Amino acid sequence: MSAFQWTRKDLLSLYDLEAEEISFILDTAAEFKKVSARQVKKVPALRGKTVVNFFFEPSTRTRVSFELAEQRLSADIVNVTASTSSLTKGETLLDTVRNIEALNVDLLVMRHPVPGAANFVAERVGASVVNAGDGAHSHPTQALLDLFTIREHKGRIKGLKVAIVGDIMHSRVARSNLWGLLKLGAEVTLVGPSTLAPKEFEDVGVKVCHNLEEAICDADVVNMLRIQRERQESGFFPSTGEYARFFGLNSHTARFLKKDALIMHPGPINRDVELSSELADGERSVILEQVTNGLAVRMAVLFLVAGCNKN
Amino acid sequence: MDNRILLRNAEEMQQAITTVADSIISEFGSSELADVVLLGLYKAGVPLARRLAEIIKQRTGIALQCGMLDISMYRDDFGQRSALPLIRETVIPFDVEDAKLILVDDVLSTGRTIRAALDAVTDYGRPDLIRLAVLIDRGGVEYPIRADYIGWQIKCGNDRKIVVEFSEEDGSDGVYEVPWQHRAE
Repeated sequence: MSAFQWTRKDLLSLYDLEAEEISFILDTAAEFKKVSARQVKKVPALRGKTVVNFFFEPSTRTRVSFELAEQRLSADIVNVTASTSSLTKGETLLDTVRNIEALNVDLLVMRHPVPGAANFVAERVGASVVNAGDGAHSHPTQALLDLFTIREHKGRIKGLKVAIVGDIMHSRVARSNLWGLLKLGAEVTLVGPSTLAPKEFEDVGVKVCHNLEEAICDADVVNMLRIQRERQESGFFPSTGEYARFFGLNSHTARFLKKDALIMHPGPINRDVELSSELADGERSVILEQVTNGLAVRMAVLFLVAGCNKN
Repeated sequence: MDNRILLRNAEEMQQAITTVADSIISEFGSSELADVVLLGLYKAGVPLARRLAEIIKQRTGIALQCGMLDISMYRDDFGQRSALPLIRETVIPFDVEDAKLILVDDVLSTGRTIRAALDAVTDYGRPDLIRLAVLIDRGGVEYPIRADYIGWQIKCGNDRKIVVEFSEEDGSDGVYEVPWQHRAE
């Protein structure tokens, strides 16, 4: 029984958290996962609290997951998207947020294209802020659900070899995973062409590898990131076909993958680009479990940040 | 630890647990007793429920099923505490629907924990009946809640907390009075 207690008002980045805090969220999420398996899939914890889901970037799965998590905690919900907000009328982010706060909301779940946007808001409002993705910076609940899924299958994080493959440079999922995995003691290898997985990442204590087969042959977990086609137009790789041949996981490149390796993907998948259909739907894939676990992790995070007295 | 006052020693504590077990046995009788289930509330209600089941088995030969309930998601002071402890594992190995269910806790004080427990357990099903067993009723309930099976009634000031320790978790059995700020946890 851990004597540790949760005291944070916000969840902005896994970089800010101690290993103990990350494990605490995962342990809390395990109990919330069971709530969704009951006949009554709801608890009254956030009854009377109001949550604003503030999405300045298109998102379906993250928003739906947060919304469902909030409903299962009995919170009241308002959704604001970039197109429905006054930002289109020239209002500043801070003014928009202050106006929302003046309505006595308790929680802000925020997705924004600018790195640090959630931190900026969290420092200036009394409400709790949960970062649902800020540019290429951070997406803490995605990393937490990945950690939860790995821990559920492998029983631990410490000592595992995890390969993250794809567009590392532009990926908040990669950055968040990286901090979470390192703090909990995993060995991380970042894999991709040198334009998308630059060697500079080695400074933070990970390996960088430009050869997929070499990187995955002893991996316990392979996390395949979505490759955005617009990167091809910007010249980061010559063609999606070539990318798929060298860095896509398929029956050919996966020959050396361990039998019990987990295949993960944050979605949405470009089938047969970064991941073949056969593997995405195969035995080693835990991609749909990631979605299920995302709900549990978000319930835990909302419960924890809303559950503490801010004074 | 210096401010602890021993209220009951291990032997006296065992006697009181036996008193609670006997009240349960006499209320239900051997025919109904087999259908009764015990649900211990964390923290100290969990070992207490197991002890009750043990004594009831020794006396009647009937083994009652035991579960464990954490009420963190149902508390009425959500958002008011400065820190949150870890949610403990709820394990309910029986069907709550139509059960004759006895909630078990170490101390009945404000009644708020029991209020939360009633909400929590009924989210798992609609029991036939719910009763409450406590080792100590310290008086001062703030909600209209009473215990059905009681080991002792002890009067204790509002600035003091009663702590029940079990050898399984704390090394030895004993009931103590401690100042609130020195709550053992």
